[in-house]
Amino acid sequence: MKDIMKMTAALIIFSTVACVALAFVYEGTAKTIAVRQKADMEAALKGVFPDADSFTDITEKITSGDKRVTFDGKEAAFAAQAGGKTIGVAVKAATPGFNDAITALVGVGANGKIAGVKILSNTDTPGLGANAGLDKYYVNKAKGTTFYGQFTGMSANGNIMVQKDGGDVVAITAATITSRAVSLLVKTAAEAALTWLKAEGSHK
Amino acid sequence: MKAAKIFLNGLLNENPLLVLMIGLCSSLAVTTSVANGLGMGLSMTFVLVMSELVIALFRRLIPPSVRIPIFIIVIAAFTTIIDYLLQAYQPALSKSMGVFIPLIVVNCIIMGRVEAFASKQSPLLAAADALGMGLGYTWVLCGIAAVREILGAGSLCGFSILPDSFEPILFFILPPGGFLVFALFISLGMWVRTMSPLRSDARGSFAHKGDPEVRGANYVKSEDDKRSDEK
Repeated sequence: MKDIMKMTAALIIFSTVACVALAFVYEGTAKTIAVRQKADMEAALKGVFPDADSFTDITEKITSGDKRVTFDGKEAAFAAQAGGKTIGVAVKAATPGFNDAITALVGVGANGKIAGVKILSNTDTPGLGANAGLDKYYVNKAKGTTFYGQFTGMSANGNIMVQKDGGDVVAITAATITSRAVSLLVKTAAEAALTWLKAEGSHK
Repeated sequence: MKAAKIFLNGLLNENPLLVLMIGLCSSLAVTTSVANGLGMGLSMTFVLVMSELVIALFRRLIPPSVRIPIFIIVIAAFTTIIDYLLQAYQPALSKSMGVFIPLIVVNCIIMGRVEAFASKQSPLLAAADALGMGLGYTWVLCGIAAVREILGAGSLCGFSILPDSFEPILFFILPPGGFLVFALFISLGMWVRTMSPLRSDARGSFAHKGDPEVRGANYVKSEDDKRSDEK
């Protein structure tokens, strides 16, 4: 009986001290982490809409039209404003790639064209699928167009598929699965953004 | 001094990765770049030192039958602490190392040294052992990462050091390349030890019976010597 008491007491004491210590560290770092994450998101949004001066969270109003593409639960969509007018919508979406999920930010301007795509997280094979977000990998070397850069200017409800499937997207050599995944992501996110823009009345 | 000897032990003679060969899983995954290798090594060293210290300090208060859960509580607490600290103050590193920071909890080196050493030795010796093992782990990680990064990406710590005309050999960034470089390091380590005058100390590491992975040869040397002396 005494042994069990000793064991229980030891476990309780160690667990309690560990939890208290963790609580302290959590409290101390939570603010810094939250600020960092917000800054990262702002930087990504600004990258897609450099002219915007403010962003409003419209996460609840955007839904994905394709089961394979999921929109982030907490901060899925932001409307970008410049001078009080909505100039576009940025949607953060994820879809399974070759290795794990690929997350990207897709911006659609008020004119119905894609303003930009920024790959946020991509764990596909280096030299192959990982090229999707690299700024040194060109699909058109002469014009200096990167894989993710080629989506800029495409129509949001256009034929956003790899050329193999009949679309306009130039795939990454030997990385068809990643190319298809990113195309699907951009297509679904852009369509959802366009739906919101039309409903809200900002689409010209 | 005993503490200094124990510290040097972990660096070379009983290097956890090259000699004891524990904790290999994480080392292959994070050695794709020197920044990751260094970050992982130092994080793991922090968890190892703090865990060994705490457990050595309270070793008499830990009932033997529940020692494993208690070790895990301590190790997991420190791993979570370093995870939060990295997320807050080194977010880029935290993102690139990803899931391998929380996985420090299951790193065999920490559990092994805590069980074999810290639970039976004074805090000072435990800290020396932890520092030695941790830094031994770190230098091997950085060495392997340097080779893999230079050959596989043409860069070192993110700076391109090879000319643009060098086509990176992707093999070295992928897992098979990691295994190969690791094997070469182990061979190099074995060769260095056979050449070195410390050969008589090294005899214990290989010829040792009964759990050489987690017990240091120096730790049980006295018992073995007594036994062999009796023969």
